[in-house]
Amino acid sequence: MAIAGLAATAIVAFIVVVLFISWFSNPPFGWGNAPDQPIPFPHTVHAGPVEEGGHAIQCEFCHRNVTTGAAATVPAVEVCLICHKQVNGANVTPAAEVDPDKHINIQRVLDRHADNNPIDWERVHRVPDHVRFVHEAHIRFLTQGEPETVTLPIGDEKPINLPLEVPEACSVCHGDIAGMAEVQPQDSQSLKMGTCLDCHRENSVSTDCTVCHK
Amino acid sequence: MVVDLDKCTGCQACVVACQAENNIPINTKDYFLQRRAYEWIRIERYWEGEYPNVKARFMPVLCQHCENAPCEPVCPVYATYHNEEGLNVQVYNRCVGTRYCINNCPYQVRMFNYWHPNWPHRMENQLNPDVTVRSRGITEKCTFCVQRIRRGEIQVEARAGQRLDDNRIAAGNYDPACVQACPTSALMFGDLNEPNTAIKPYFDDVNNYPGHHEHERETRGYRLLEEMNTRPSVIYLKKVDQYPLADKGAH
Repeated sequence: MAIAGLAATAIVAFIVVVLFISWFSNPPFGWGNAPDQPIPFPHTVHAGPVEEGGHAIQCEFCHRNVTTGAAATVPAVEVCLICHKQVNGANVTPAAEVDPDKHINIQRVLDRHADNNPIDWERVHRVPDHVRFVHEAHIRFLTQGEPETVTLPIGDEKPINLPLEVPEACSVCHGDIAGMAEVQPQDSQSLKMGTCLDCHRENSVSTDCTVCHK
Repeated sequence: MVVDLDKCTGCQACVVACQAENNIPINTKDYFLQRRAYEWIRIERYWEGEYPNVKARFMPVLCQHCENAPCEPVCPVYATYHNEEGLNVQVYNRCVGTRYCINNCPYQVRMFNYWHPNWPHRMENQLNPDVTVRSRGITEKCTFCVQRIRRGEIQVEARAGQRLDDNRIAAGNYDPACVQACPTSALMFGDLNEPNTAIKPYFDDVNNYPGHHEHERETRGYRLLEEMNTRPSVIYLKKVDQYPLADKGAH
């Protein structure tokens, strides 16, 4: 009897732990959501505002497909080279000001390009394999169309004045990426189906299963 | 969809196109021997007459997207349902693999995934990114290439800058892969919710003369297993044989 009770307790405890981990490792909580990238990429430096030492590059300059297709796409190494062909520490004067810790990552990118070796970026925002998310349609909703004020059930849920600029539109779901040295889904940026459905319902978009599951 | 059997040559281009478009695993000899090979559209072959006086008849059979679909009420988890556009939808992530729907389908077009899908090395690079790779143990079937319908919708919306109604699929902006691949245009596709679709007259004709009034129809249209009243959304046009066999054989 005692053994059966112990076994039952162990099984229940196991199930509880598994459910606990799987629930909290999903995007709004984000256990293990910021994987180590092969080369650190600080969005603060690239996309951050100029006043804070960033370069304010537009999102769609690197994520080129985001306004035209389903996937936002991670840029090829050649896209890094558009800037880093020049910004590589070689023409900093005087040469003593080159910070080796800072430039070692740029040198890695240049090496990858020289070796014809793509960078295996780790995916951060992941939806399950049976979900098909189209960036283009969502960007279009947020950046084009009639001016209106909407409250979307994602992020901080403040009223948003449409239409937005593209980088602001990205921030609605992805948060302030330009302020993140290491990209990670933040609190309340859920990638769960309930969030998708809430938003689709509020904006009278179709909630047919085949819109996302094909 | 309208299938003109008079034009069908049984070339199987639709089968290959479907397999490529919808990430259907390669059916090996083993799978056929186990009777576990599956295709979303298949060419049924019938022989007419006795050798040497013989003719082959072909009939492409795909999910009929029935209006009274027998597969839908038997699903315990609501994985198959009818959407506003009239498509019979299979939601793979809801399906638990009871196979009730397969057994209740009179056309045998629902397929069960007996094996984990795999492709030869590097062949997985040709998978269609718009279509889910279905895991083992679920039912799958023809979707009328719903991923193309959705893509067509998005393209129309992007071009027109307006949102389409839920019940309007953007006809003319897409074709299912089988229709696109058919070399003789034996397959025709359209949206019955649109007033001026090329396939509409066939459906009107068949709907106007149901059942015993079949001989009064003006077109060659008929539905498969019409007496079961499943009201399929696929209409077949009879073959017109210019040179019929002199001696109709045993079949």
